[in-house]
Amino acid sequence: MKTFKQHIYIIAGLLLLGACKTEIHTPKPVAGSADFSRYISVGNSLTAGYADGGLYLAGQQVSYPSIIGKQMQAVGGGTFAQPLFSSSQANGSGYLSLTGFNADGTPITTPVTTNLAIRGQQAIPGFGNVILYTKYTGDINNYGVPGIKLMHITYAPYGNLNGYFERLLPGNSPTNSTTYLDFVTAKPFTFFSNWLGNNDALSYATSGGAGDVLTDKSTFAYLYNVLINTLTAKGQKGVVATIPDVTSIPYFNTITVSAILTGVQKINPAAKALYINALVAGSTYAPRAATANDLIVLTFPTSKIGQTVSTPYGPLPYGLTPYTPIDNQYVLDEKEIALTQDYVTAYNTTIKTIAAAKGLAVFDAYTFLLNIKKNGMVVDGVSINSNYISGGLFSLDGVHLTPRGYAIVANEFIKAINNKYNSTIPEVNISDYNGVKFP
Amino acid sequence: MKKVLLLALFLAPLMAFSQGFQVNLEGQKQIGMGHTGVGTLQDGASVFFNPGAVAMLPENYLQGGISPLFFKSDFNPSGTSVQNRTANKVATPFEFYGVWGPKSSFWKFGLGVYTPFGGLTDWGNTWQGKYVLESLNLKAVYFQPTLSFKLTDFLSIGGGFVYNHGSVDLTRAIPVANSSGDPGQAELKGSGKGYGWNAGLYFKTQSGVTIGITHRSKVNTTIAGGNAIFTVPTSLQSSFPQPNSFTSTIPLPATNSIGFGFYPSRKWILALDVNLVQWDVYKTLSFDYKNNTAALQDTHSARNYQQAVSVRGGAQYKATTNLALRFGGGYASTAVADGYVTPEAPDANRVYGTLGLGYTFAKHLDIDISFEYEHLMQRTQTNIESQLSGTFKTNVYIPGVSLAYHW
Repeated sequence: MKTFKQHIYIIAGLLLLGACKTEIHTPKPVAGSADFSRYISVGNSLTAGYADGGLYLAGQQVSYPSIIGKQMQAVGGGTFAQPLFSSSQANGSGYLSLTGFNADGTPITTPVTTNLAIRGQQAIPGFGNVILYTKYTGDINNYGVPGIKLMHITYAPYGNLNGYFERLLPGNSPTNSTTYLDFVTAKPFTFFSNWLGNNDALSYATSGGAGDVLTDKSTFAYLYNVLINTLTAKGQKGVVATIPDVTSIPYFNTITVSAILTGVQKINPAAKALYINALVAGSTYAPRAATANDLIVLTFPTSKIGQTVSTPYGPLPYGLTPYTPIDNQYVLDEKEIALTQDYVTAYNTTIKTIAAAKGLAVFDAYTFLLNIKKNGMVVDGVSINSNYISGGLFSLDGVHLTPRGYAIVANEFIKAINNKYNSTIPEVNISDYNGVKFP
Repeated sequence: MKKVLLLALFLAPLMAFSQGFQVNLEGQKQIGMGHTGVGTLQDGASVFFNPGAVAMLPENYLQGGISPLFFKSDFNPSGTSVQNRTANKVATPFEFYGVWGPKSSFWKFGLGVYTPFGGLTDWGNTWQGKYVLESLNLKAVYFQPTLSFKLTDFLSIGGGFVYNHGSVDLTRAIPVANSSGDPGQAELKGSGKGYGWNAGLYFKTQSGVTIGITHRSKVNTTIAGGNAIFTVPTSLQSSFPQPNSFTSTIPLPATNSIGFGFYPSRKWILALDVNLVQWDVYKTLSFDYKNNTAALQDTHSARNYQQAVSVRGGAQYKATTNLALRFGGGYASTAVADGYVTPEAPDANRVYGTLGLGYTFAKHLDIDISFEYEHLMQRTQTNIESQLSGTFKTNVYIPGVSLAYHW
């Protein structure tokens, strides 16, 4: 019995050692000079959590505002509500999923078309068909609306033209007349993030300079002033982000002129160049040989190259002669790039100037993403770069981010906020967020 | 023509026998006295501490002991209040010594089997550094036959040959998500061997002070043909060919030591040891995979370790003929320079304190118990290679017990 008792002491002692905890003392997170009790996020698809060419529940759940909102709860932030799709309609608008690789290593993507939240479509005269989604009626903190431009924020009929915005409004298209700006500011808030403006340049660029126009610089400046003045009308604080260089995304850097040409030359060694319809000046376009400075969009069906096209000069191979250039919509040519970059630079000057005047925090997404494109980055043992799929940052559409990308962006916003307002919102663990999902 | 380059998905495994893996638990009497023993003579553990002193042992020894080691690391990622802690797992360093020689002879033969390096760290698969390391179980068992000669009554020398059996089992996450969003897994598992030697000199001065000087050589341990097991989504399997194997060599550093024993009265022994550990041999850690792909390249990671010094002191008080009370402590500088700290053994300068108790039964059997508490200084670091940024703090609790039979 006595030895038994001794054993008990030894066992108890070992258990006690097992229970010892090492503790690093960390200061309690503070809100600094900001009030995070109701945080709202203003923005476009990036803000909504759009990814893989669609808006769907899993993407919404890792939107950067939702990550920030959750982290803000450590410093007095309230509940952060998002207009989530229901679990039975979790696939929302539908999206692309990676389903495999071809023998040459190129990816196979397949659209997801089940469990969608599409409720119908509405024909708008002079505009076209608008896809309508299942209405969301609950609280909203995340006002991200895919597709919205800064240009649209005061445009009353916009709620009839954008199904993602229509979804949040009580009325049905085409009866809506609430502007986006009025809608987001209807309910009081204490802090905001704003990442509007991307689409004012990006929509032009992703359509190869063919399907959309760049928002006029002074219109942009005027509306950005209106937006920030409204958001800060009651002394609210906030963070704004600059607009990334459109050429820093894999949408423009994955299919290259030289890669296509190399492929062509394997079959047709005589082929010397690809021909594109390039911007000359103003709205004049003329065919010329493509160079490495011209960017081909990710969605370009490369199988079109070399297909016979009938022309006034007889049948000619697509993309390989000045008479059969690659369609404008697939190419952001050198001059279009320069034009876009000029506008983005001007927009960003506007954003930074207004933010400085209002004492707002700025996340310089332009510099951040350009730096990743140039140098890549390593986060907690994970190598990240701007390459399509393997880079881990961009989703399958080559424009929007992966969960890991959104978590990285969330931390950059948090750092900018903390830096400006002397707050200590905790950063998020990026290792918890995945890149592209592989089958 | 959409080029997909799966480059650099798998960064270098971070594995090292660092100072954190030098376990310094080679004899319970010595642990009790702050793990000193180069310049003093207590029992068969001199085979490890100073093979030169073995011939001076008045008796033959057969002894064995164990030191269950509770390694408690905490990591606080930068910019958060999160605490990532290692799981409760107990490593079991052990020591065994046999010393024999003819009665009153000038020589003695010794054999030591002990674990000078090892580590058991399990951070789990959800922590911030999971792509750097999830868990590591590392063991080095040294087998050391030793010969020692008494040259005069006041000087003896000795040396031994070291065979090391090392084993490693490392797991980490691979940043490629499957369709459920779960990351891939890598496990590197293997065993290997290395050889080395050690030698020592033991000297009794006229003033009664004893002095020991030892050198333990570097032991290059090569793990050849270890299993490299990768679990990744099916579509990426060809980038991580299975089965696969790896080869890696890790230099376990040489140690130069000097130790002193002082005997102020018949009841007291005071000991002081200084070790210089030549960790600077550890420049790079390379992993050579048998089957390479664009995604799985051989890796070469800079380690750039620096020399480390430890200073140890301890005392023994003979309360009665049979009962010895011991205490001690010390300080060890880190081998790992700023920017190279990794989670497998988050190294830092450390202090430690020890207590010990020894009792002799019937003049032939010693039972010794010890307890060591080690504290690694809090260290805030950004690793150059992984960019894992945060604060590490570690406490180690090590109880120990041994039996020694001597005749």
